[in-house]
Amino acid sequence: MNMNRRNFLKTAGLTGVALALADLGFNTKKIEASTKEFKLSGANEYTSICTFCSCGCGMVCHVKDNKLINLEGDPDHIMNEGGLCSKGSAMSVVPNSEERIPTPLYRAPRSNKWQEISWDDALNRIAEKFKKARDENWIEKEIDNGEEYVVNRTDAIGIVGGAQNNNEECYLMAKMARALGVVFLEHQARL
Amino acid sequence: MSMKWVMRAKEKGAKVIHVDPRYTRTSKISDKYVQIRPGTDIAFLNAIVQYILENDLYDKTFIISHTNAMYKTNKNFEFNEGVFSGYSDEERKYNTDFWAYELDAEGKPVKADSLDDPQTVFSGLKDFYKRYTMEVSSGITGIPVETIKEVADMVVNNRPGTIMYALGMTQHTVGVQNIRAFGVLQLLLGNIGRPGTGINALRGEPNVQGSTDFALLFNYLPGYLSYPNHNKPKLENWTASYGSFRAKFLIHLLKAWFGDEATAENDFCYGLLPKKNANENYSIYRIFETAMEKKMKFLYIMGQNPMVSSPNLSVVHEGLSGLDTLVVADLFMTETASFWEKPGCDPSTIDTEVFFLPAASFLEKEGSLSNSSRMVQWRYTGIDPVGEAKSDLDMIDLLFNKIRDLYKDSSEAKDEIIKKLSWNYPTEKKAEAVLREINGYNLKTGELLNGIGEIQADGSTAGGNWLYAGVYAGNENLSKRKDNKTDPSGLGLFPGFAWSWPGNMRVLYNRASCDVNGVPYDDEKKLIWWDEQTKKWMGYDVPDVPVATDGPDTPNGQKPFRMNGEGVGRLIANSYSDPDYVNQTARDASSVPADGPLPEFYEPVESPTSNVLHPKVQINPCLKYPRIESKQPIGTKEEFPYVLCTSSISEHWCAGTVTRNVPWLNELVKETYIEIPEKLATKLNVKNGEKVKVRSARGEIEVKTMVTHRLQTLNINNEEVTVVWMPYNWGFKGLSTAASTNLLTIDAGDPNTWIQETKACLVDVQKV
Ligand code: SF4
Repeated sequence: MNMNRRNFLKTAGLTGVALALADLGFNTKKIEASTKEFKLSGANEYTSICTFCSCGCGMVCHVKDNKLINLEGDPDHIMNEGGLCSKGSAMSVVPNSEERIPTPLYRAPRSNKWQEISWDDALNRIAEKFKKARDENWIEKEIDNGEEYVVNRTDAIGIVGGAQNNNEECYLMAKMARALGVVFLEHQARL
Repeated sequence: MSMKWVMRAKEKGAKVIHVDPRYTRTSKISDKYVQIRPGTDIAFLNAIVQYILENDLYDKTFIISHTNAMYKTNKNFEFNEGVFSGYSDEERKYNTDFWAYELDAEGKPVKADSLDDPQTVFSGLKDFYKRYTMEVSSGITGIPVETIKEVADMVVNNRPGTIMYALGMTQHTVGVQNIRAFGVLQLLLGNIGRPGTGINALRGEPNVQGSTDFALLFNYLPGYLSYPNHNKPKLENWTASYGSFRAKFLIHLLKAWFGDEATAENDFCYGLLPKKNANENYSIYRIFETAMEKKMKFLYIMGQNPMVSSPNLSVVHEGLSGLDTLVVADLFMTETASFWEKPGCDPSTIDTEVFFLPAASFLEKEGSLSNSSRMVQWRYTGIDPVGEAKSDLDMIDLLFNKIRDLYKDSSEAKDEIIKKLSWNYPTEKKAEAVLREINGYNLKTGELLNGIGEIQADGSTAGGNWLYAGVYAGNENLSKRKDNKTDPSGLGLFPGFAWSWPGNMRVLYNRASCDVNGVPYDDEKKLIWWDEQTKKWMGYDVPDVPVATDGPDTPNGQKPFRMNGEGVGRLIANSYSDPDYVNQTARDASSVPADGPLPEFYEPVESPTSNVLHPKVQINPCLKYPRIESKQPIGTKEEFPYVLCTSSISEHWCAGTVTRNVPWLNELVKETYIEIPEKLATKLNVKNGEKVKVRSARGEIEVKTMVTHRLQTLNINNEEVTVVWMPYNWGFKGLSTAASTNLLTIDAGDPNTWIQETKACLVDVQKV
């Protein structure tokens, strides 16, 4: 029978787990698989791509009540065919971890603690600091070999993006940085 | 997961060779394991190349048709005492014009009649490589002569063959030349462009391909367009240097950024772009160094944790302490955001103010990313971000709008660019809107572009990255495609699964899988071919040719490496600009490595031995290090006798910001340790699990030891050399904390890429 695992799960959901399993000769796994089916019944499904290396393995995520309840390798993905390595398969922890930071934080100069601040406050202050650094450290012209050149930049602002960002985020960051005169634009391509 | 495919190839009879300083799980499944001293790959690879050249084992047809083997190099080209012609001692720099071809009256390279003509690239190659005998190579690398010969025979007798590499090759002061050494080897063997061949970077980060494509790099604009320098004030100056072929893509980009404001009359707003100083390096190391000097005031970091992952961490810490404002957007608290809390450091002495912005994880946002094979894939989401977290896309959009608002009343010249920039993104489906901008539009029809071929140089098209033109072809987001069934090639191309740049091409240089007549070398496993009937290049893959209807009897039909001006693979990286007869400028000026046209072996900056090939030129002659003497001491082998190689591990990712917050990964590997050979353990009188102090010229840390057989002492130029190894994924935050290995590592960088030499520095190890 030519059936991949993802379709198998779907079919299993429709026709009754026991029947589908028996059909496929998976009797020994019956209990394990039906527990899983039970857990996933009524869950919404979406796909994502792993975030730990450039293989780009596919993942299937299951959601119930806005909570990620299951994550596994996408069996229909041409790269990983359902497998995930130690890091990829551990990723269901990320949206459910208590260690995640829920709000913006601020640490004042010389302070020894963080304090919570609102998004609006954080972004307003960051925008002002950005402007200040830009305006006070603007290089309009530069002389090289006796010749004057217009350079329109600031060397006092650095932006470091990440390979953790999606393409659209990288693109917007590059566009914003250049529009604001930033030449110290970097990321972790070297790690 | 790449290993899955290596195993599958092995099941079908492929031979697997694994080269690594340390015996690992990969070595275990290999047919041949080669233990090498870190930093000596060129000496190893060059001996294989020399063996191939000496015994005529190269693919003669391939090199004559698809490489510059027959081209004549100019008469002044030389290599002497460790340096090539064109070297300036004072500037530690080459004038790459010295590596040019001999040109005819039209500016095209002159070809010889035979490979053996003394002026050919091929003859130059033979001349250069003859110093790399098996014995010399063995002395440098520590690999026995028989092993080098065995590997050479294996690669010659098992064609087609592919090379997979990662940071082990690039984190050196000769990183680019390491890869060039692969390039020469694979071109000689005809191992490029055909199924089962190539040089494959297994990039260690999820979207490192995309983040370089979109140029979060100081020296590029999106699509690898060279970033404008101060001495190129006008578009025509830029075009003169980088060619009219690329200028078209720059105009296309400027139209996407400046919309109607960009016109042919105003140079498409090119003049508004900030210009970097051509003589300065703006890499991440310079960010921390200039911050240390109090010249950097504001730093914004998203999704990166340099307080763990960057080399020579004390410079990073001092740099962060020198800033006015630091902004960090991440999922978990990082060592970078809380650098002021580092154990042993007094927060009341640190003036930097810090903002931490909670970011949505990859599972909580939509967007695309590009894997190592340039395949662009879409990520969906089905859950809300944790707490008040936001995607970086939303953060950038909000922040830019706020900054633009602050400038709304300004009439200063410097703020003109902010006002002219087109920036207007919807709240819903923002990522898709940005991807459409990246794909590009035809401004006359308003339609999305279907491919690179539709891009115009007159400003009538606008798009954010020429390489991605076509990802939204036919008004459909092709990165979402999931057809895992259709593969007419039988080779695993799956053209209907997601989308690859450029133009959904899966195998770059696939023109080289056919002979001069456009007939596939291997009819059973073919990618593309010239179809005489329809007068077109056809294929299971998108043909990598300049024009699909220009056949093998035209110059365009013989350009398997079309991104080079001359269109063929470069055995020697000769500098060359293809003349453009229409515009009177260069059509295509492809770059050459800054540190030499051929891979020459140089010792790492910190080395346990001297360079036997040219003792006076011990290290890469283009390297400028230390940049700041007080912070970048160089250790000697007398004080630091062991070679330290570092890397990440499969259980933790990079700085460990995420993985060290996952309990079961911490159970798998919970802390930093040092792996040492038994012989050293006996000498130091330490047992497995006992603590040692590891010290370099830059710092010291205490860690547990792991005593193994997997590392063995090596015989290097008749002296015994010991290599030790450490993972670098830890810091003082997260659920699992431990000492940071990068306090020890060196921040000397490759002169082309500024990648640090974290694979080879010197340390001392003592029992605590
Ligand atoms: S699952 Fe593992 S191999 Fe696959 S992308 Fe993630 S980190 Fe890479």
